[in-house]
Amino acid sequence: MAALSLAIPVLLTAQSTDTERPVPVLTGSLGFFTNGWNGQTQLEPVATPVLLVPLGERWLIESRGEFEGDFQRPAGGGAFGGTVTKEVDYAQVDFIANANVTVTVGRFLTPFGMYNERMYPIWIRDLQPTPLIFPIATGSSDGVMLRGGIPASNKINVNYAVYFSTLSTINKLDSDRLTGARIGFFLPGPRVEIGASFQQHLQEERSRSVGVHFAWQPNRVPLNLRSEYAWSGSQGSGYWIEAAYRLSQAQRWQRVLRHTEVVGRGQQYLAGELTASDAAGYGLPTVNARQADLGLNYYFSDGLKATGSYGRRFSVSGDVDLWTVGIAYRFALPLGRTQ
Amino acid sequence: MNGKAAFVGLLMLGFLFAKAAARQPEGSGVPPAKSGASVQVFKTEDDFRTEGEKRFRANCGRCHQSPHKFNPRMMLTIERHMRVRALVTDEDMRLIVRYLSQ
Repeated sequence: MAALSLAIPVLLTAQSTDTERPVPVLTGSLGFFTNGWNGQTQLEPVATPVLLVPLGERWLIESRGEFEGDFQRPAGGGAFGGTVTKEVDYAQVDFIANANVTVTVGRFLTPFGMYNERMYPIWIRDLQPTPLIFPIATGSSDGVMLRGGIPASNKINVNYAVYFSTLSTINKLDSDRLTGARIGFFLPGPRVEIGASFQQHLQEERSRSVGVHFAWQPNRVPLNLRSEYAWSGSQGSGYWIEAAYRLSQAQRWQRVLRHTEVVGRGQQYLAGELTASDAAGYGLPTVNARQADLGLNYYFSDGLKATGSYGRRFSVSGDVDLWTVGIAYRFALPLGRTQ
Repeated sequence: MNGKAAFVGLLMLGFLFAKAAARQPEGSGVPPAKSGASVQVFKTEDDFRTEGEKRFRANCGRCHQSPHKFNPRMMLTIERHMRVRALVTDEDMRLIVRYLSQ
């Protein structure tokens, strides 16, 4: 931190005098959701501000906070009450070393699979409930990372991330001691992406995790197909497959349907060696589970949508109906003059 | 021991890449030649626009709906953020920014 505080004034003076230099930006998302299961109702306001501060020609400081409310009626009735959890998802310094390499230092989203880094923001995800396997090998890490995208040919782009995280027990900045890597291949022609992730814990049970991800957006139909599989020596394993279809090609009611998206997801989780309380602590189901979800999104604009979904989870501890309705908004504001 | 070896390895790799970066010129506004790929030449503004829109749809549409166009100075910041977050290649990013800034 001391080195960073010394470096920032130097970097600020290195800013280009060009009137077209980048300006700091405050962006992020706001949302309000109502979730229900087994007759219980939860109110969930969410705010995730993202601060982007470019420095010089090659540096970027970026951070995301997460404020999430969990308000429910007490047993026996009464007013909604609860807590607001506050997290620092990432607070990192990026140095764009060259066209193929970016060096990241600080707290960053653990690059395992594609959901954690790219699909998680509430204005992006097609279904508000996260996949059952989402907690496996994801979250945030404190350490150093190298990453980048390389055009291997006109038909394939390769992307990679290699990282090391240290053990931290600091409140809101906790992380595990681990190392890992992810490689992905993107074919821009057919718009297909496949990738694989690996992670090795370097503490406690020293467990290992592996994952693969796949995404396809056919050129001819407004379909978005995504899937992930993850296996962990301690946290269990599972997969999800999700299809989102935009009704923009519908012949009738064009004014409404071109803003509407139908989403379906199927998934399965096989419990690992964790105790029930540890699994719940990670946000994982405590027993084997299967789940099917069906959702609907209506986009008022690119950054504002209404969303709703219904799902049913099947497990030995009992089947559960899950539903969510809400609204998500993405904002972006310049923190300085833009002219 | 494994952790220390990984950390030292990462630092050495970072040093090598940073050294290579110092030799590479940055930001001409025109897409540089792809390493290991054939060179694509865009002669007219229409070529840039067409290719920029194509890469915008292929890359940005992988995760989210098409965003509206931002102010150019904001666009440069968001470009840097997305380049890190979504691992979009340098050439794709330059063409996308050019397309979105028009």
